[in-house]
Amino acid sequence: MAIAPIEHLLRALYIAKKDAKAYYFKAPNLTYALLMPISLFLAFSIAGPIDPKSITPGLTSLVVLFGTTSIEAVAVVLEKQTGTFERLLVAPVSLSTILLGKILAGLLFGSALGIAIFVPLALALGIAITSLPMALLAIALSSLSSSALGVLASAHAKWVPEAQMLANFLRFPMTFLSGAFIPLELMPPQLQFIARLLPLTYSVEALRISSGGPMTMTTFLLDMVALALYSLAFLTIAGYALKKKIE
Amino acid sequence: MDGAIEAINLTKYYGKILAVDNISFEVERGEVFGFLGPNGAGKTTAIRLLTGQMKPSSGSAIVAGFDMTREPIKAKRLIGVVPEVSNLYDELSAWDNLIFAAQLYGVPRGARGMRAKELLEFIGLYDRREDRVGNLSKGMRRRLTIAAALIHEPSILFLDEPTSGLDVESARAIRGLIRELNGRGTTVFLTTHYIEEADHLCDRIAIIDRGRIVAKDKPEGLKSRVEGRTAFDISFGPRGGPVDGLAALDHVKEVSKLGEVFRVYVGDVTGFLQALADFARGNGLEITSINTVKPSLEDAFVRITGLSPEVMRVEKEPARRGDVGYSSH
Ligand SMILES: Nc1ncnc2c1ncn2[C@@H]1O[C@H](COP(=O)(O)OP(=O)(O)O)[C@@H](O)[C@H]1O
Ligand SMILES: [Mg+2]
Repeated sequence: MAIAPIEHLLRALYIAKKDAKAYYFKAPNLTYALLMPISLFLAFSIAGPIDPKSITPGLTSLVVLFGTTSIEAVAVVLEKQTGTFERLLVAPVSLSTILLGKILAGLLFGSALGIAIFVPLALALGIAITSLPMALLAIALSSLSSSALGVLASAHAKWVPEAQMLANFLRFPMTFLSGAFIPLELMPPQLQFIARLLPLTYSVEALRISSGGPMTMTTFLLDMVALALYSLAFLTIAGYALKKKIE
Repeated sequence: MDGAIEAINLTKYYGKILAVDNISFEVERGEVFGFLGPNGAGKTTAIRLLTGQMKPSSGSAIVAGFDMTREPIKAKRLIGVVPEVSNLYDELSAWDNLIFAAQLYGVPRGARGMRAKELLEFIGLYDRREDRVGNLSKGMRRRLTIAAALIHEPSILFLDEPTSGLDVESARAIRGLIRELNGRGTTVFLTTHYIEEADHLCDRIAIIDRGRIVAKDKPEGLKSRVEGRTAFDISFGPRGGPVDGLAALDHVKEVSKLGEVFRVYVGDVTGFLQALADFARGNGLEITSINTVKPSLEDAFVRITGLSPEVMRVEKEPARRGDVGYSSH
């Protein structure tokens, strides 16, 4: 290919930057990202018998999930809807560069959001962050896999609400089955098995470990690998679906 | 490499719908080449195939020397595309849209601002550079879409129905831009359903109907195919006998009266002129003017396609943008 790899990355970054400028700070996105997880957090921690400290990793993972999937839905589907996606398709960039741009944007947005929730909450509640780099890595890979999931839902949707709905099919089960609020150990084995199929489970687990949880480094690394594999799988399927549509 | 574009047996099915049916043609460098055809003829599909937005079901397109299926990115660097529906980012300013286009096409950092400024001046929108595109008029957006397609100085520009849906003034401005660009050496491929536009703008025209090219020639060449339709507009002075006999003259096929002017369709021109002269003299008539009526491109179009010119005046209903390119199968 005549265009150097670094040039591809650069163009992906320009796409990401453009997305941020055009779409991200629209009110519905931030509302979607925060409203649902925070209501649940309040419901569980104030009304319920649960210690808010123990569900802070879960809350962070959920905010990242809801935030990135929402903006990806807008950033991909809106481009298809308004015809601007065509602009990307006629440009000298490959579909993978376009997807990389979308993902990078989600990764940065999700990470910023995750850090903005996690760090202040940890400080306020007196949660001991065992390793800040580990926590950041966990947030970053959670953002990556959530973005990929958002792109996957968007690749199949014709308009934004449809993408949101498709995303909800995955987001709602994850909210309750991934250990965000209810620890996995308290679930029956069948549900634990289902939980192990959901990427959010690995996000929550990894964040727990990096903020004073009991599990091991090996578990943390396995969580990271799982999230990376999910990201790759979601992106591959999304890329395939988009490619098929333009052929 | 000589030709700018070469299509070889291009064919595209959407599921079972045959949208482009085995079309082949060549466009020379420096030419303005137009696809003229009614709605649904396959013009947009053809442009999508030529610009690498879609893969053909069969056949191939060589654009700027590169096979669009095998080396799409190399070809895409050398072409600019202006779609049927302006597709800029409404949320961004005119300026930011151009800068993003420059980044996407790999225009060097140092040159981006200069190119954007030049182009905004070229399209007369430099004063509006900070405006959100969503706030610009339709005609302005179309001009800006053209500017965005020119940011990397492409050697070939594709325009899908560039003036469709615009007011007369804006359409004229766009045609002016196209002529000027072509004057500077840019090869232009455009589609249109306006017969007159094709006539005035294009060096060569391919008439496309139901996915097929049914004729391909210079506008003059297409018109000359409408044989046997030579007509004269003739006026007579106030004196002299009745002119009713006109229709009965040798070689006259048909006479119609347009105000004081008689439009006479004739077969053999020399024979008719002789008969006309005799007729005028015999009846003491004075011929005050006589003009040849050339066949119009519309006449040619009607003859070649068998379609009524009304078909071409049907404006497309506004496209549901979500459908563009994403509703196959
Ligand atoms: N994405 C699509 N999916 C299915 N059919 C399509 C699609 N786009 C166009 N068509 C059909 O293909 C034919 C050619 O359409 P098009 O290329 O848009 O024609 P034009 O641009 O000349 O109006 C039409 O019959 C149209 O209905
Ligand atoms: Mg069209």
